[in-house]
Amino acid sequence: MSTRAVETWTLQPLTDFVKESSVRLVLVLTPAGQVLAQSGFSRAVDVMSSAALAAAIVASTDELARQLKQPPFAALNHQGLKQAIFLSTLSTERGTLAVLAVYDLDVSSIGLVQLFFEQLAADLKAATPRGTVPKQVLAAHFERDLTDSLNTLFGR
Amino acid sequence: MSAALDLITRVRGVRGAMLVSADDGLVVEEQLMEGIKGPAVAALASSLAGRLRRAMQAGGLGAGVFWHLQAEQGALLVVPAPGEGGIIVVAVAEPDVNIGLVRLELLRAAEAVG
Amino acid sequence: MDDIRALSAQLAQDPGSLIFLRLGEALRRKSQLDAALRVAINGLERHPHLADAHDLYARVLTDKHDYERAFDEWDMAVRIAPNHTGALKGLAFLYFKVGDLAQAEAHLEAARRVEPDDPSLEQAFAMIRGGGEAAPAPSPPPAATAPHPLDETRVFAGLEGANEGLLLIDGAGRVLGGALRDASGANVTDAVAAYLAGVSQEAARTAKLLGLGAWNGLSAEGQHGNVHLGQPAPDALLLVVRDRGMPLGRLAILAQRATILARRWLERQGGGGA
Repeated sequence: MSTRAVETWTLQPLTDFVKESSVRLVLVLTPAGQVLAQSGFSRAVDVMSSAALAAAIVASTDELARQLKQPPFAALNHQGLKQAIFLSTLSTERGTLAVLAVYDLDVSSIGLVQLFFEQLAADLKAATPRGTVPKQVLAAHFERDLTDSLNTLFGR
Repeated sequence: MSAALDLITRVRGVRGAMLVSADDGLVVEEQLMEGIKGPAVAALASSLAGRLRRAMQAGGLGAGVFWHLQAEQGALLVVPAPGEGGIIVVAVAEPDVNIGLVRLELLRAAEAVG
Repeated sequence: MDDIRALSAQLAQDPGSLIFLRLGEALRRKSQLDAALRVAINGLERHPHLADAHDLYARVLTDKHDYERAFDEWDMAVRIAPNHTGALKGLAFLYFKVGDLAQAEAHLEAARRVEPDDPSLEQAFAMIRGGGEAAPAPSPPPAATAPHPLDETRVFAGLEGANEGLLLIDGAGRVLGGALRDASGANVTDAVAAYLAGVSQEAARTAKLLGLGAWNGLSAEGQHGNVHLGQPAPDALLLVVRDRGMPLGRLAILAQRATILARRWLERQGGGGA
């Protein structure tokens, strides 16, 4: 399984998470949909669409919580027949990050994914570079940045 | 459910007992001493139970009735509850606990929740 | 072709056996890819958690140039059995095909850590480093289907029930000695061995993360028999199986004796596991 990162400090925590929780696919992204790292994806188009959908889900559940006057939801788990999707957010010095994971129900479980997600959150927090400002994505540079990120994520 | 766990945790050397959803690896009910992480026990015990079940089925040994992981500083003991609920009863214990007694109480608890 | 007929007949007699691995590979080698695919899929349906079954399916898919699904299958095989060299070499092959030489090399390195003496790995490394056109060939048929030439009576000599109900395997799930049969008399050695590596990894992780220290045994009662799994060496596992008439306590004593004998035998082989 290949794990790759645009922001290299995310690589080791993500590699450990994939190994321990036996998830099939993972994306680490910003709430705006910018991908910092991925594991298990073989096509750039899947990363792009999954990141966009995950960012949209995070935004809509945050808004639902806001309208219900509740704190943001901790995590979301959709269970299918053979696979499940786990989506949750975590805080780092770089701001909030979202993690989308897909796992096979005969290999892993929500209990295992949650357990090692907590470790991932702690590891990412500890690994965040101090005193650096997150790179802003400007509309003018968006396409170039996206292409650069995808090239890094697929080792091109 | 809580009464079923009471009988297990009364055994000397038992540090905690839980009911766990076997498929999800999530805690259903727990009675744990301080320092024992319920979600970790639930997730790991159910994962080990699943792998052991597959190995035993491959060996034609049928469904597991009781299993016991022995380690240097403690033990993990598990009994699957009968029925369709997919619940396992788990105990975390000291290494020198009376295994026979814990096994008996686990089987009773499993019968009660099954 | 006679081989294929004989293997087909054996599989028809015992559809739950692991003969499908040899039959699928034989068909693949004869380029009967559709038949190999059917055999692999049927085998996977019966043994969805067997790494060798995913490996076979991936090889057939590779021959049919369906690389994306082959990647998924080898990926699944490695997740079930992280030391499965066939799957590691398969993944290296696919990475090499798409030009990701770093990943190809990393997977070959992982395979070499498990099987340092495999000559095909050196050829594959040379190919990658030389930037040659051809890719490393997928691995030969899995070792699990061909019993190791080892006299298990020497491993378990003097033990009650030697030659049956005792199984010694290495960390990758390969049989070192012993054999297991189920109640109907069918040989289930390879199937159980394949699953045991995952059980021991999970046992070690569970004990470590729960602060229980190193694990030193796993006993289980099943509806049709009792088992004890121990670790005679860091990279070896010993399984003792007895019927339900033998209490777990007595089984543990028997397992202890078997562990000592297995440990001595492993030490004579040059230390540790395989």
